[in-house]
Amino acid sequence: MQDEQCLVQKARDGDKEAFAQLYESHVDKIYRYLVLKTGNKIEAEDMTQQVFLKAFQSISSFKWQGTPFTAWLFRIAHNLMVDYMRHKEKRATLPLDEPIAKSDSNPELMAERKLDMEQVISATERLTELQRGVISLRFTSELSIAEVARVMGKSEGAIKALQHSAIAALRKSLLVGETQ
Amino acid sequence: MSRETEFDNILNECLERLLLGGETVEQCLRSYPGEAAELEPLLRTTVRVEKAAAVVPNAVFKARTKYQLLSALDKPEPGRWQSFIFSLKPRWAAVIVAVLIVLVAGGTGVATAGSSMPDSLLYPVKLATEQLQLKLSPTELGRTELYARLADRRVNEIVYMVEKGDIQQIELTAGRLNGLLAGLADKPGVDNASQGVLMAPEPAEGAMEQPTVAAPRAQGVTEDSPPPDSEAGKVRILLEEYALSQTAAISAAINQAPEEVRPVLKQLVTDLESSYTQVIGTLD
Repeated sequence: MQDEQCLVQKARDGDKEAFAQLYESHVDKIYRYLVLKTGNKIEAEDMTQQVFLKAFQSISSFKWQGTPFTAWLFRIAHNLMVDYMRHKEKRATLPLDEPIAKSDSNPELMAERKLDMEQVISATERLTELQRGVISLRFTSELSIAEVARVMGKSEGAIKALQHSAIAALRKSLLVGETQ
Repeated sequence: MSRETEFDNILNECLERLLLGGETVEQCLRSYPGEAAELEPLLRTTVRVEKAAAVVPNAVFKARTKYQLLSALDKPEPGRWQSFIFSLKPRWAAVIVAVLIVLVAGGTGVATAGSSMPDSLLYPVKLATEQLQLKLSPTELGRTELYARLADRRVNEIVYMVEKGDIQQIELTAGRLNGLLAGLADKPGVDNASQGVLMAPEPAEGAMEQPTVAAPRAQGVTEDSPPPDSEAGKVRILLEEYALSQTAAISAAINQAPEEVRPVLKQLVTDLESSYTQVIGTLD
């Protein structure tokens, strides 16, 4: 696998294969982040397309000065989400009919995971916007604390504190959801 | 360092070990026995969230988006990007039009119809909005482009209904797509538009032996093609892209579709190819 920095440079030079590899490397994580943030598969697909379109349109402006490509990509997704949340009057959540986890073909297990995903999405909706951002970036997209801090424009200490409060709030919400 | 900050750091270290290092909750707790009682519920919640959120995007969606992005890279001039953005977000385009209708009619329910799918209560509003769009389209070229864009919506809807395994809606939407293709190939007027958008014709009949996944005839610019920077040239390029991406999407959906509707989808691939070939031919 080619070094990401090399891929980005090739993509900047218009190499389609490099674009394709960058897309393949990141599309799952970006989609996962957006699914959890929007709670809506269709919206997440639309926004995933927009993230990559914006990224590829402006890749010539990307510089490696301490910012990994992943963090830059998530920054675009984060900004789109901020815009989305600002303009969305009501979050009409479509059922997540395909939160199919990787490599599971057991229907019962898939059904359980679907239920669990819906519970998690429902629980994250009760978090603050910042808490939800940290949860999405950290645990569905697997970014490091430093990367999350870059994406959200906050200090690492602030992200750690948000992470703590977000998990605690999430746990509370999940417990409430289970008892209802 | 405050107690809170110290705990935040411990929690973060445990999360790193758990999520990236492959350690178990128990291993982490053994490292911090004094904080174990507070740490344990947080770590178990995190494990649950991470497991539940292990979703992957649909393979058809991924392939289709990749194709569209790479196609757009071939023609990166500003006008093409704008056109591409529009083609990527058909649902939003409908919402914009729907909002205009709301402003004119004072209604409130239309605005959310743009993103509705065939099994949604708002879907008829979406179809009515599309009919209005077609009627308002001032030029034949613009109407041709609009037909292709609406066909793209129907393709997206079919892929969505295939994922849901809804045979009836797949057949109905395939019928609507056929109506649009007929309008597209005829260089249509409003009458065809009505048929294509509002009616739900009978499901396509007959089965092809194999889906033809090859691109339509019109690949690249021939000697007779309109100049790429002319309006007709731009529409031609757009139609070529739609032809490829729509046939690819339906072809990819065939394998996931219930057995009963596969012949319908195979026939659609053929119809898509012939319709686009015909309309692109008229632009040369």
